[in-house]
Amino acid sequence: MRSTAREFVRPNRFIAMAIAIVVVFTGLTVRLWDLQVVSGAHYRDLAEQNRVLRLPVEAERGTIVDRNGKVLARNLPGFAVTVIPVDVPRGKQEELAQRLSPLVARKPADVFNAIDVQRARNPYEPVKISLRPVARDVALLLTERGEMFPGVRVEAESIRSYADAVLYSPLLGYVGPVTEEEFASLREHGYLQTDLIGRTGLEFQYEQYLRGQYGWREIERDAAQREIKQLAYSSPTTGNSVVLTIDDRLQKLIEAELKKGVDEDKFTQAVGIAMNPQNGEILAMYSNPGYDNNWFINGITPEQMAQLNGDDRHPLVNKAIGEIYPPGSTFKMVTGLSALNEGVANRNTIVNVTSNVLNVGGYNFYDWRAHGTLDFVNGFAHSSDIYFYTLGGGNPNTGRAGVGPEAIYKYGSDLGFGRKTGIDLPGEANGIMPSPAWKLTAFEEPWTIGNTYHESIGQGFVAVTPLQLLNAYSIVANGGTFYQPHLLKEVVDPQGRVVFTRQPNVVRKVNIKPENLTLLREGARRVVTIGHAYMPNAKLPIAGKTGTAEFGSAAGKDTAGRNKLGFHNWFVSFLPKADNTDPTADIAMVIFTFDSSRSLCENCFNPAVGMTQRILEAYKLGTP
Amino acid sequence: MRRSASPLHDRPHTRRLDQVDPYLLIATLLLIGYGLVMTYAVTVESRTLTGDPMQFVIRGAVWAAIGVAVMATVAMFDYAWLGTFAPLLYLLTLGLLAVVLVIGTSSLGAQRSVNFGGLSFQFSEVAKVLMIVVLAKFFADRIDQIGSPVTVVGALAFLGPAVYLVYRQPDLGTSLVFVAIFFGMAFMAGARLWQLVGMVAVAGASFPLIWGLLKPYQQGRLLAFLDPYADPQGAGWNIIQSLIAVGSGGPTGKGLTAGTQSPLGYLPIAESDFVFAGLAEDLGFVGAVILFALYILLLLAALRIAFRARDSFGMLLASGVVAMLVFQILVNVGMAISLMPVTGIPLPFISHGGSSLVSICFALGVLQSVSMRRTGPELG
Repeated sequence: MRSTAREFVRPNRFIAMAIAIVVVFTGLTVRLWDLQVVSGAHYRDLAEQNRVLRLPVEAERGTIVDRNGKVLARNLPGFAVTVIPVDVPRGKQEELAQRLSPLVARKPADVFNAIDVQRARNPYEPVKISLRPVARDVALLLTERGEMFPGVRVEAESIRSYADAVLYSPLLGYVGPVTEEEFASLREHGYLQTDLIGRTGLEFQYEQYLRGQYGWREIERDAAQREIKQLAYSSPTTGNSVVLTIDDRLQKLIEAELKKGVDEDKFTQAVGIAMNPQNGEILAMYSNPGYDNNWFINGITPEQMAQLNGDDRHPLVNKAIGEIYPPGSTFKMVTGLSALNEGVANRNTIVNVTSNVLNVGGYNFYDWRAHGTLDFVNGFAHSSDIYFYTLGGGNPNTGRAGVGPEAIYKYGSDLGFGRKTGIDLPGEANGIMPSPAWKLTAFEEPWTIGNTYHESIGQGFVAVTPLQLLNAYSIVANGGTFYQPHLLKEVVDPQGRVVFTRQPNVVRKVNIKPENLTLLREGARRVVTIGHAYMPNAKLPIAGKTGTAEFGSAAGKDTAGRNKLGFHNWFVSFLPKADNTDPTADIAMVIFTFDSSRSLCENCFNPAVGMTQRILEAYKLGTP
Repeated sequence: MRRSASPLHDRPHTRRLDQVDPYLLIATLLLIGYGLVMTYAVTVESRTLTGDPMQFVIRGAVWAAIGVAVMATVAMFDYAWLGTFAPLLYLLTLGLLAVVLVIGTSSLGAQRSVNFGGLSFQFSEVAKVLMIVVLAKFFADRIDQIGSPVTVVGALAFLGPAVYLVYRQPDLGTSLVFVAIFFGMAFMAGARLWQLVGMVAVAGASFPLIWGLLKPYQQGRLLAFLDPYADPQGAGWNIIQSLIAVGSGGPTGKGLTAGTQSPLGYLPIAESDFVFAGLAEDLGFVGAVILFALYILLLLAALRIAFRARDSFGMLLASGVVAMLVFQILVNVGMAISLMPVTGIPLPFISHGGSSLVSICFALGVLQSVSMRRTGPELG
């Protein structure tokens, strides 16, 4: 019987086999549905990410130029070495680090770690391995022997380069690598891990203008990470140029004088600032010691950093705005204006300085000589301390009233002391404009008449930045307008179009009567013609005020072996168009020497005066 | 012991051309065509590199023609001859595998092929089919004592040396195909389920022992299968890239040769082990389902041949072929979509490779022979 002959066929097992086949293919189909239909878009993205790499194309940073187009910060071509971690097999990372180490002058462990860190962050993004630009032959080696350097790319980069680095470093600052913490917030603004960013100075202040718009290019790459072809390209846009109000010629004239003094150890530090009182443009700003900001660009060495940090003059601080000093007699302008405007004094107010000592309440307050009878102009011109003690604090011995510390505080604040001017530079100090209330808070002590006397001649608590002092005199020179000091003149795009022009910013009109400002200008002119800052063979109608502040020890040497001479010398000046009291000055200047001797020249009491005369005459009368 | 029929002793069975299985034939030819199309698609990049545009496709077509000729020729003969020469075929199997070990060419760390006359032969592909014949003969002769453990263990004793030789190449994947063939055939022969389940249980229990015998790269593949992202640059790379290729194909694919994973080299061994990923990327879910449909047609046709076979030998031959194909498809496709660990098993018809294709054609020729002779002369 056929049925018995075919008992080797077991139908149940055939059914089971058929079901197994159906189950296998159903399982595979369900899984495929999940991968391809449900998650297709996700995997398509991953395939694109595999295949397409979008690489940034760096844009050149804009230049910084002075008002006449002289380039102060530019870019030089160089090469950067970057690594894309996803292209480095883990097993080869150690070997790669060893090979790259000597070429980029870093420890193998540092190279290894840099790749590791980036691998954890985003392995598809390149991380810059070279701290400073590498030489052309290294770049060539890396590109020609690509198989030995998996994942390594050599990219053209531009290196910031500063002309007259030490001269302009206090102003320009420098650019430096984006830090780990900053990158978190910066990346959404298009910054790369490998980017440089303005760290301080104008590079920091005007990052928004200077930074270029990065482009990108999309490349197709194979599994071996070779670039197959470029798929798309978006070109970068160079950053805008920042045009400063600075005049390089004036800057260098100031440098020539002040650097010579420091080099000859006549003083240890110096500041010179020039400004146009009519609009607040800073024409020059010099701070000595400066530093070579190119050091930071090329990767500062530990030795260089130690040198900067070990200098107790703090070369990294822009003294023009970042440090505060007693203004000395230059502050008599504030005392005088307070007294004049409050009606305590006028041009005919007489003080008889018959002795060089004023004794009040058992304390002696000295003048530098017994001047005799002084009116306002002569009191200012000869910088009589007792004249201004009297205007400020009065004379209890005679019952004469002074204008008092509250008024000095009011006018001093009005003229910009005790608060940042708002100049477009980071790191500006507030200064101290003291008042009785301030002293009570700061020292928990009541104000004394001695405090008023000291303040009246710019000693004691009052402390100013050189810029604040210059700014206050500029207000006097222009007839009462507080223009915000600024360094930005305009912003120019790569095609040369002006995209932004900085307008003069009036902070306030000071609350001082014009005739009082005129009187002060007259006094300041008399300082030069008959007084404390006599200028021999003067060719310009310079007006100004000296100041000498005593501080600390006037003997010995500092840690760097420089003479400690114990005096700060100020000369703050302005130059009217003609020898009159009109508010026409288009240049005001402050020269400040730190730790200088009391007298450095035969004909003057103050080294800053002669320097001012030479600088202004050379600038105004010399050929540009 | 009842000997199965042999043409040496009995009159050969009548060949009936009208009993050629049309479904099996159609599915076979369509799959061979599909395979040529995929060979064209995934070798686009290599073709442009070698400067011989159709090199791989022509070679594939030649092998396909040889395969079809082999299939037709084999179908003409009574499959009973195979039973007659089974002992010789068994020796041939072991001989071929031994030859591979002795003079085989190393590729990717394994000796899997033998070069001869400028061509490379993967003898283990042939050995799989020969082993089906040997096991079919063994089980058919003992179909009455199929419930005895001695029968099952005896079959294992025949299988063992072949599996060992393949494993030594080393080719773990193919040696597992042998094991799958054994289980499939024993199951269809009617072996007791508890014996089969028991063997699986013993194998599972001795897994720690087996683990120790595995080569480090094999262990790595198994670990990577469990968690590809543990080492995405290393062992997990193949799996991840394959998943990306398959998934990115989407419902309808990127278009033939428009896929990127394979031509850009993200898919390793794209024309062979990971060919399915390339197919799924180019042709999408639709293309994969069409392939599955052809497979199902082929397998069910083969199963029907087994069901209608004249004798237990023919039934077991067809069953063995079904078991081999199902297992290879499951493992190869499963590997591409991360349902199975990575092993180097070719995808029937689709993976580029002459030995595999001709071996399968030989097996399908045998099936057609079984089909054509299903209604033998009535005996008595």
